[in-house]
Amino acid sequence: MVKHEQSMAAAGDVVVSGLNVGKTFAAGTVVALENANFDIKRGSFVSLVGPSGCGKSTLLRLVSGLIEPTSGEIEVHGTPVNGPRADISMMFQKATLLDWRTSLENVLLPTEINGTPSKADKNRALDLLKLVGLEDFAFSFPAQLSGGMQQRVALARLLQTGADILLLDEPFGALDEFTREHLNTELMRIVAEVRATAIFVTHNITEAIFLADQVVVMTSRPGRMAKIINVDLERPRPLSIQTSVEFNKLVEDVRETLGAV
Amino acid sequence: MAVQDATSEVLVDTLERSLRNRRIAKHVGIFLTLTLLWELGSRMGWLDPLFYPRPSNIIRSFWLIYFQNANVWFHLYSTISLVIIGWVLGSMLGIGLGALVGFNTVIRRFLKPYVIVLEATPRIAVAPLLIAALGFGVNSKLAIIMLVCFFAPFINTLSGVINVNEERLELFRSMRASKTQILRKLVLPDAIPVIMAGERLALTAALSGALVAEFIQRDKGIGSLILVYTRNLNMASAFACIFTLTIIGFLIFKGMEKLDHYIAYWKYEGGRERMSSKRKRTMVEP
Amino acid sequence: MSVSDQPIPLSGRILDIGVRFLPHFVLFAVIIGAWEISVATGLITSIIIPRPSAIWSAIVELYITEGTIYRHFFITLTEAVVGFAIGAGVAVSLAIASSLWDPFRRYVTPYAVVLNVTPGIALTPVIIAWFGYGMGSKIALAAIISFFPIFVNTLTGLVQVDEDREELFNSLGASNVQVFRKLRAPAALPLMFAGFKIGLTTALIGAVVAEFAQATDGVGVLMSRFSFQLNMAASLATLLSMTVIGLILFYSMEFLDDRIVFWRRESRRAAASRARARTWAAQAKK
Repeated sequence: MVKHEQSMAAAGDVVVSGLNVGKTFAAGTVVALENANFDIKRGSFVSLVGPSGCGKSTLLRLVSGLIEPTSGEIEVHGTPVNGPRADISMMFQKATLLDWRTSLENVLLPTEINGTPSKADKNRALDLLKLVGLEDFAFSFPAQLSGGMQQRVALARLLQTGADILLLDEPFGALDEFTREHLNTELMRIVAEVRATAIFVTHNITEAIFLADQVVVMTSRPGRMAKIINVDLERPRPLSIQTSVEFNKLVEDVRETLGAV
Repeated sequence: MAVQDATSEVLVDTLERSLRNRRIAKHVGIFLTLTLLWELGSRMGWLDPLFYPRPSNIIRSFWLIYFQNANVWFHLYSTISLVIIGWVLGSMLGIGLGALVGFNTVIRRFLKPYVIVLEATPRIAVAPLLIAALGFGVNSKLAIIMLVCFFAPFINTLSGVINVNEERLELFRSMRASKTQILRKLVLPDAIPVIMAGERLALTAALSGALVAEFIQRDKGIGSLILVYTRNLNMASAFACIFTLTIIGFLIFKGMEKLDHYIAYWKYEGGRERMSSKRKRTMVEP
Repeated sequence: MSVSDQPIPLSGRILDIGVRFLPHFVLFAVIIGAWEISVATGLITSIIIPRPSAIWSAIVELYITEGTIYRHFFITLTEAVVGFAIGAGVAVSLAIASSLWDPFRRYVTPYAVVLNVTPGIALTPVIIAWFGYGMGSKIALAAIISFFPIFVNTLTGLVQVDEDREELFNSLGASNVQVFRKLRAPAALPLMFAGFKIGLTTALIGAVVAEFAQATDGVGVLMSRFSFQLNMAASLATLLSMTVIGLILFYSMEFLDDRIVFWRRESRRAAASRARARTWAAQAKK
């Protein structure tokens, strides 16, 4: 990810780009996001980190097409975003599973929305449940699963759409530290396996750096992108990398950017 | 905004707790003592048996109305069949209109004042009017039952449809679901538990509505039977009818509970397990 | 979202309300007009459905020129309120006793459940035989059928206390009385008031149904008298007074609820916060 310097069309492997994107709420009285410029390359993992009210979730919703920008433009795969689209899939802080559906049926939901699921779709859903380690819980209802397991189902549902751009809005934010670390490692593995592009929103600095190729540090009032930090740590990354000197220099960098404002 | 049943978990819980732990003997003991005191009080002349029937007479009346004269069956049939038909029709109307109003913001806005007025009016008060308009007989009875049944399912469906979880709605929108898909796959299933709560209230109301209609019409049904027995100061038989209604009320309560376990299965541990294994079978077999 | 602290002038507010309700008025006028015309032209038979103008003249007669309604209005209102007060008093006392003393709760519960599943309306003829044709029987029926929702809601509120808070009180070494006064009782208020609102509605139903069955005064009597004279317009005009009673009862309870359970709504919270700051300041001066 680089600041928007070259023209959007020139970069062939850019899948998501934004030009002077801004968003205000309440008839312009609340500036949620101001003048954001970005290019996201195919297959990269980007973290958006910052305090509450920095516009990171707003930015994610703008990319998803759930809300429209007040100014500027966002393009995905070279076409402007004007509503939710098939090449983008989204995951939320809450698992938002449907209580009356089994794990498998929840994973199949996006397929059902687009038509009748085939035998192949069902097998794919089962494979995805296996990928997230829930093959034994395919026929369990959400109320029978722990919070971490529910998020795994949501992750499988995210992948079921087949979209190559994944938007993750603090997906493990409501879980305990141990479960979260574990699921983050899983997430990294899975995203690499399906070769997707991921945008990950969090307020946890360590998590943001650990997962990402680039960390976008955002500051609040008004929400804006303050700095983009490249994370050149090699993959696969073990949890122990978080104690390394390079990692902590990056943490320091993010903290300074956040504190400087 | 949804109307909820007053029967709480706390009571059912206490009831189950008190019926466990070998306390049953104590309960029965207390009940028998109270009954015996009543019987004695009446025989000693402290309670006028003309107004406060003796337990022994009530038991005898049960035998009379159910077996010896067997006259209660006809009235029971009349009441129960009307209650069920009226409940089904009235609540179907309520659910349908509730969904319609819930989805249409314009209708909803214009209907609000009328709903407030309807909510404040004791619906059962319209009974004489309906009887006058539709005449004595089945039609007016059914109309009264439908009227008292209508409201709870209507208001609960409406609120179930309006109060859709925002996050789930966002999920559906991010998946580009159509309006019909959101309705069928999200809104309606999500509203089922609260609609069921409305249905339960409606069935109870239906029974009360039938009784009021029968009090006024005095032709047949358990309500008119209670009225006639009381008029003749045959209080023991009146009480036998009232306790019959207690049993019916209890069956309604249990029946609705069963229905809820069946329809809103995901709310209950047993229901989840049942459906879980059922879906596993249907997935594996074909 | 308004930022201005300036009060809007009264004329502006009236205009604002006028503009907001204008569509409602227009729709209401259209419905009334269509109704009047379709009855006048014979589209609808006027014995069953009176013309709005006939209802209006019945209202004028009952409420203004003759004023016959008021005596009945206040009788029914009194029956409902007194019945509710008795029912609520008994229900709240029993709920408090049940929450403080577990054995009591266990032995009272089965009877409460039996009372709940029995349609209270069924007791109407018996209650009239016991308490006579006057207001006493109406008050008794209102009290009996308003009892249960209040009892169960209050008990649930008193018993279902947040465990963390209870632990806090225990860690502070609070006595049972303190836990009740400072935690359970305030925590139960919202549910108790919800019970009161249901109880008031059912009390009104009880009063009216008892009046249908046997009485000389009250809006229920007027209602059935007019209905059986096939005077539908007067009957509907009487129904209006029941709606008014219902609205008065509901909104006075809502008013109390809003002020006593002030912590649920921002405007009430702010008012309570200001009041307490004033008290604090006054005390600090002393």
